[in-house]
Parts: sequence; C-alpha cells; structure tokens
Amino acid sequence: MKFLCVECDAPMKLQETRGPDEGSMAVIFGCPRCGKGVAMLTNPMETQMVRSLGVKIGGAGTAAEPMGMVKSSLAYRREEAAAASPPEISASIAGEEKSVNSIEGRDSSGCPFSGAVSEAFAKQESGLSWTSEARARLERIPAFVRPMVQKSIEAHAREKGLSEIDGAVMDEMKDRVGM
Amino acid sequence: MKRYQDIAGDGGSNIVAQVAEQAGRVKSRMAAVRRIIAVMSGKGGVGKSSVTVNLAAALALEGAAVGILDADINGPSIAKMAGVRGRPLLQGDNGVVPPAAALGIKVMSMDLFLPDDQTPVLWQAPGQKDAYTWRGMMEAAALREFLADTEWGALDFLFIDLPPGSDKLPNLADLLPRLDGVVAVSIPSGVSRLVVARSITVAVELLNAPLIGLVENMAAYVCAHCGREEEMFPPARQENTAEELKAPLLGKIPFDPRIARAGDEGRLFLNDHAHTPAGRAIRQIAGKVKAFL
Ligand SMILES: Nc1ncnc2c1ncn2[C@@H]1O[C@H](COP(=O)(O)OP(=O)(O)OP(=O)(O)O)[C@@H](O)[C@H]1O
Ligand SMILES: [Mg+2]
Ligand SMILES: [Zn+2]
Repeated sequence: MKFLCVECDAPMKLQETRGPDEGSMAVIFGCPRCGKGVAMLTNPMETQMVRSLGVKIGGAGTAAEPMGMVKSSLAYRREEAAAASPPEISASIAGEEKSVNSIEGRDSSGCPFSGAVSEAFAKQESGLSWTSEARARLERIPAFVRPMVQKSIEAHAREKGLSEIDGAVMDEMKDRVGM
Repeated sequence: MKRYQDIAGDGGSNIVAQVAEQAGRVKSRMAAVRRIIAVMSGKGGVGKSSVTVNLAAALALEGAAVGILDADINGPSIAKMAGVRGRPLLQGDNGVVPPAAALGIKVMSMDLFLPDDQTPVLWQAPGQKDAYTWRGMMEAAALREFLADTEWGALDFLFIDLPPGSDKLPNLADLLPRLDGVVAVSIPSGVSRLVVARSITVAVELLNAPLIGLVENMAAYVCAHCGREEEMFPPARQENTAEELKAPLLGKIPFDPRIARAGDEGRLFLNDHAHTPAGRAIRQIAGKVKAFL
C-alpha cells in the first residue's frame, strides 16, 4: 500500500504507527510538500492477517527474530508465567528489536503495515517505557541477544515495580547480563 | 495523478518478499539435515509419539545425530516423553537452541513455550471466535518457525511427530522443502483394515512422500509372569493392512507398560530396556527405516 497526496501529486511519507489498540493500528503518513497528514486505520482482522504471516516492516533491514510469531502471538507463554522469577531466565526471548515509533529512515514508500504489526504487539506486552539513554544502550547490544536481554531487564524492572527503564536500571543489570 | 507504479519502492510486495525469505530460511536450515522422516497414523492415540521417540532413541543409540520436531501444535507430547519439558529455551547465535534429551536428541515442541500442563495453546486474536479462524494460519506459522528458527545443526535424522488426522498435513507438505519418508503407525483394532489402509494412503498422498512402512503398535502383550508374548487380537490382521497399503510391515511393538511409564517419566525406554521384546522390536524397526533411507 502507498499513499499519495492528491493536491501535490507527491508520495506521502510514513511518519508514525500507533497501537495496537483493541486490535487496530493507526499508520500515519504526511505529505513532505504541504505537510498534510493522513492516517490509515486497520480493523482487527487486517491487523491479524499480517501478523499471522509473521512478517516484519522493512524486512530487508532488520533480521527477523527467531520464533517471533510464536512468541508474540501466544496468549499465555512461559516467560509470562516466569516474569516474577529471577530475570536471568533465558527463556525470555520474546521482545522487539526496535521501537515501533522510530521508523524514520525506513523506506517511506514501503508498506508500513506488515512488520509494524508484529513489532507493536511485542512491544505492547512489556508495558514499560525506555528512556532514550537506556534505549541507546540496548541498541548497542548485538541484535541476536538483544530481545533476550531486553526481556530480562524488563522482568527485573517489573519485579522492582518500575514503569520506566533508565540508565540506573541498566547499571543494575550490567553485571548480570554483561552489557 | 501518479499511479502506484510511479512511486518508487516495493510497497506492499514487501510481504511477498518476506514470505519467500521465510521459505528460504527453512530450506537452508533443512540443508544440514540428512533425512527427514514423518511419523503419522490414521487415528489418534495409537502411539505415534511413543514410536517417534523410541525410533529416535534407537538411531541415537547407534550414534546418529537425531532431532524430533513435535508438529502436534495443540497436543504436544514429545517434550514430556523425552524429558525436556520445562527446560529453558536459549537464544543461540543463529536461532533458538533446542533442549537436548538423553542421547543428545534435540527437541522442539510447542510445549516448551507453554507455562504449564493446563495451559492450552491459545493464540491472541481479535476475539475468541476469531481465534478459531486464525488457528490454522498461526499453527502453520509456528511450524515454519520451529523448522527454520531452531538451531538443529547437522542432523542425520529429523523425526516429525504429526498430529492425528489429516487436515494439517497439506500445511506441513507446503512448508517442508523435502520429506524423505513416512512411517505409519496403527494398532490392531476392530476397525476394518481397509479403513485404516485408506486413511493412511490419503495421508501419505497429502504428504507427497514415500511410505517407508507400517508399524504395528501394541500388537501383543508380554505376560508379566512368564514373559511370553500373547497376541491381543486375532493374528495376521496387520499383515493384511500392510498388504492393503502395498507397504512393508516394519515390525510389531508389543504392549509394554514400561513404554507408557518411561513416557510419563520423561525417560527413554530404550535406555533402560533395550533388550526386552519391545526394545528389540523397536531397534529392528529403526534398522529397517534406516535401510530404506
Ligand atoms: N507399545 C506400547 N505399550 C504400552 N503403552 C504404549 C505403547 N505405545 C504407546 N503407549 C502409550 O499409549 C498412550 C498413547 O501413546 P502416544 O501418545 O504415543 O499416541 P499418539 O498416537 O501420539 O497420540 P495422539 O494421537 O494423541 O498424538 C501413551 O500413554 C503411551 O505411553
Ligand atoms: Mg502424539
Ligand atoms: Zn501535499
């Protein structure tokens, strides 16, 4: 799917995705010339359709996470049950690799929808926010262990009743996960 | 006004490219597996999973590198039978590391993702009604991930324990780059041998792979007092099923409560009882499977 600003006859650029919210997602585009915006709203079926294919946005750029579909789509998973136990559980491999909202730099004319869905669902589950410092430190961890480390950190934060992960939390986890 | 084609980029075809890439991942993973064998049956509960684990153990005992993929997404039993239930899934360099059972048998099963016995496999979906609609697609996607994203490494044999029934088989046939052979399991029963043979024939056609032969499970029982084998049903019935299938009878595994107990305890029956009648039968069948491939 692509979006065109009719007035300017210019392709619109992907700006942001929001959701999922009760299964729906909003994918927001803006016209680079006149600045007008438009949002594509998906119904839960459309969201699910793409999700069940296990595909990802900008597929070429980011490596797909192993078992990504299973881990992001099971209603009850092992790591959820284990969330209260010590965070070094390596079973906790679900998680997203990138913030869904940091999509600048991606091919703006690619279909915005496909992978944003899987990523957004994975993100939603944690319910924790990351400060940009913490996020940047996480990004420095090699991609293949990042989801695991992220889950561990989030489990640790939850255990301590925190809603935000910042540099201090990262420091506490430093020795344990070797960042 | 610009048309779709006028705007650079691949737009929605991104999805198509990714699906193709997924198939490529399965293919390259399976390239390191010498033989892929599926274990199926016409009916449920005849001992597919037990036979799968025991054949895998027999080949592993001979020094082969063996893996088991539990393709029964909704009724996974391999992890328990092989004694790896509850083991953590570690993230490796190149996928998820399958837990190793006794004899180094690598196992991947839905069970390893579930918190406990009571938890059914439920997929997130817009609604419970919809969950049913999506089930098939989610299961196929899960199987694909099990095949592609597990660090199977170099294997001599990968066994695939199939779910009962034939409705999931086309999915699997689509996912697998190749299937080297199918082992059918049946039990002596009142059901006509024609019905059994027909359901197996249909399944093998759906899988589009050669039928290695038939295993007759729980064919006889071994008397606990004198050790003699007794037929449970009138003899020669299974030979007839095999005949009907135009496939060899690979062997008969007697009913032995120790097989069930080993499965419940997550121990490999062959590890402790290789020299019982059932143990010998299993090893013989494994030998024939190996010879076929
Ligand atoms: N030869 C045998 N002797 C004694 N018990 C056996 C034998 N084979 C299988 N069993 C037992 O029978 C039960 C069913 O076996 P199993 O789970 O392997 O069947 P299945 O065909 O995989 O079932 P499903 O269709 O549900 O997947 C299990 O409890 C198992 O331990
Ligand atoms: Mg079974
Ligand atoms: Zn415009």
